[in-house]
Amino acid sequence: MSVLQLLIYLSIVVLAIGIIYRALKISRMPVHLRWDLYPIPHEKGKEHYGGSYFEEINWWTKPMKFSLVSEVKEMSKEIFLIQSLYRNNRPLWFFSFPFHVGLYFLIMYAFLLLLGAVLEIAGITIAAASGNVIPQLIYVLTMVFCFLGSVLGAFGAIGLFFSRLFKKDLRTFSTHSDYFNLLLLTALFVSCFAVWLAADRSGDVLRSFIGQLMLFKPASPVPSAVALQLILTAIFFIYLPFTHMTHFVGKYFTYHKVRWEDHPNIRGGKIEKAVVEALGYRLNWSAPHIKAGSTWAEAATDLDSLKKGEKK
Amino acid sequence: MTKKNITPGDMARQNGQLADLDQSKFLPLPPPYDKLELEPKIKPLTAEQKERYECSLDGVSAVMIPKPKSEEEKKVLVDKFLSGLKKLFNREDNWTFLQALVLTMEYCAKCQTCSNACPIYQQTGGMEIYRPTYRSEIMRRLYKKYVKPGGRFLSALSGDNIDVNWEMIARLIELTYRCTLCRRCAQTCPIGADNGLVTHELRKLFSQEMGITVKQLHEVGSVQHIQKGSSTGMTPAGFTDNVEFMEDEVKERTGMDFKWPVDKAGADVLLIHNAGEFLAWPENPEAFAIILEAAGISYTLSSDLIGYDGVNYGLWYDDVQLARVALKHIETAKKLGVKKIVIGECGHSHKALTVIADRILTGDYNIPRESSFTLLNEIVKSGRLKLDKSRNEEFYVTLHDPCNVVRLMGIVEPQREILRAVAPRFREMEPHGVHNYCCGGGSGFAIMPNTNFPDWRHTVAGRAKMKQILDVYQDVIGPEYKKYVCAPCSNCKGQIRELFNAYGVFERCNILYGGLVELIVNAMTDIKEPFLTWEWH
Repeated sequence: MSVLQLLIYLSIVVLAIGIIYRALKISRMPVHLRWDLYPIPHEKGKEHYGGSYFEEINWWTKPMKFSLVSEVKEMSKEIFLIQSLYRNNRPLWFFSFPFHVGLYFLIMYAFLLLLGAVLEIAGITIAAASGNVIPQLIYVLTMVFCFLGSVLGAFGAIGLFFSRLFKKDLRTFSTHSDYFNLLLLTALFVSCFAVWLAADRSGDVLRSFIGQLMLFKPASPVPSAVALQLILTAIFFIYLPFTHMTHFVGKYFTYHKVRWEDHPNIRGGKIEKAVVEALGYRLNWSAPHIKAGSTWAEAATDLDSLKKGEKK
Repeated sequence: MTKKNITPGDMARQNGQLADLDQSKFLPLPPPYDKLELEPKIKPLTAEQKERYECSLDGVSAVMIPKPKSEEEKKVLVDKFLSGLKKLFNREDNWTFLQALVLTMEYCAKCQTCSNACPIYQQTGGMEIYRPTYRSEIMRRLYKKYVKPGGRFLSALSGDNIDVNWEMIARLIELTYRCTLCRRCAQTCPIGADNGLVTHELRKLFSQEMGITVKQLHEVGSVQHIQKGSSTGMTPAGFTDNVEFMEDEVKERTGMDFKWPVDKAGADVLLIHNAGEFLAWPENPEAFAIILEAAGISYTLSSDLIGYDGVNYGLWYDDVQLARVALKHIETAKKLGVKKIVIGECGHSHKALTVIADRILTGDYNIPRESSFTLLNEIVKSGRLKLDKSRNEEFYVTLHDPCNVVRLMGIVEPQREILRAVAPRFREMEPHGVHNYCCGGGSGFAIMPNTNFPDWRHTVAGRAKMKQILDVYQDVIGPEYKKYVCAPCSNCKGQIRELFNAYGVFERCNILYGGLVELIVNAMTDIKEPFLTWEWH
């Protein structure tokens, strides 16, 4: 096993554990009070103006009209088109959009390399002249996604970096790590472009490397541009879980568990069960109007502490 | 001296005021207020106020924080702040908003997309301290340094180190009362981070841990509400007297002679008003009574302690106080055995009892709660009232959307359907609905009269709303045209009243404000004399 292979294994493990840990940590937090914000796209028939089921008389007697299609449509526009930025911060969108599309294309590039490696292990050659349309398509698309992803991504990352550096409102709030993140990603995009340009345009080297990784076989030597691309990818994978760049995880929760979370608490339901548990938590706030050590249920009915607060 | 480029780290500066309010840099208002001399001025604090209270943020004191007398006292306050900060991120102490808060702390991309959505930042011509992310970034840096494991080392490494001292905390307390919690900023965030929530959570830290908040929200707000029955100080006996007075007034104004249902066990509906209506705008509960009586709705008011005042100021600063008041509202409904609670024209009590308190109510405490807008719309649509919309044709009408009901609950159309049915000259402000601007009195501002804060509220917090109102009536802005701002929320009405007073809007432009039900009753053909009197109050 080469050091490079070990580094890639390690980075994949760290990335997977890091992402799962983050997602689990957030998802295991207790039920929170509702904090919905309209418009909510799944409010069927009302989503276009931001209405909700609260507009209905005796709303609790009627079934919730949930539109999965509208929600998926809204999510897709947000994920693939970066809609909020387009609407509310167009100058930044001109860099953020290609940056994100570049990332998506590179994910596709990695997926196609992986798929190609699997097929090659199964004995199917990935080449322009393979005689079969699927391997041919994989061969061509791998090159296309690598080129487009690296060019768009590098353009976006460099643009975002300089925006952060020269725009006063961004610079005031930017930290070393914000700049470092963009530089790291710029380096990654540029390394992918360099590989496309000069080292492994067809993806043959990387398919072979990935295949050897999958079979736990010692890797054949790779050109230095490919080695640099793999090292940068590994560094990015190891670093990513510790940064706010994992907002693809956070965004699921901010949208689905906070902003669009409008499920009412129903007697005997799942939410009520979680609320009962939370009301049993002990609070330790120190202000005089709260009795530290009591449960939330006790604090909510303890009006004597207000007299204590008065004396202070 | 104030500094030109203010950074989050400047909050800890030992001396001097952080930012100056320069009204000449504020965004201009439309005619006839396009001249700066027509605007109310933000009065400087007196020497005595400056001596007594912390005011080094922007020269305004909303909270009237007493200056600590010694370094030891400062140290105690700093320690309390840090212990409170940790509790905000503890699952037992802050289960109520932990998940939402952690998400905002962890994932903000600092893209500043939210800034232009904030009316306060926008209208002041972009004052850095009012940027929604300014407050949040300070909290984020504190969270990273003092709450996360290895925070001190990692903060220094990543370059977002921040110092904490009493000066910073005092400024931060004031800064949490420069945001109306309207959450327009959160609507625009690509990540879903929520700077309004950060304001809310910081206010909680100051109240629940340090016992620091605005007197009108706590002592004479939620505490008085619980102990005397109403944040207005109105006792149950006072409420009963008020009802008798309003019954007489309805008879006098409309000829309708009927007893208002109070404490009627077994009624279908418990109607809870904001008690401020009884004192400041009795025509509003009177109009409700007329409509519900005419429509034959089985309802009751309550004279129980707390049961006649729907406000819940805890919503803005303290989860424990919020829960205490909400439970009392529910207990009132339980005692009367009603099928549902209907909330009058009060935005924050809508949200507090229907949405926020939803996840503290279990078992038989989970009594359905509903907006009066939907019930009123149902009544109007049902034809149970004889309405003639031409009775409201004499004046133009525009609608203010209370943030708590519209952006934060999604109740958008019922009030508009009503207006289309009763007000032929109804026109929309821009933007409206869920993208509206706050009146400037949100999150308790409308009831905060301290020092020069009302001046700030009139010229800064309410500026976007003022502009919208003037804009929508530009073609008929002269006093020869009668114009009405329908604001179906007590706090919004209070703010608009103060705003119009400060600018002399009624005298100069003949724009009156009021609620929704008054317009419905004004259109009722059974009532001979106009219910709406075109008088300033």
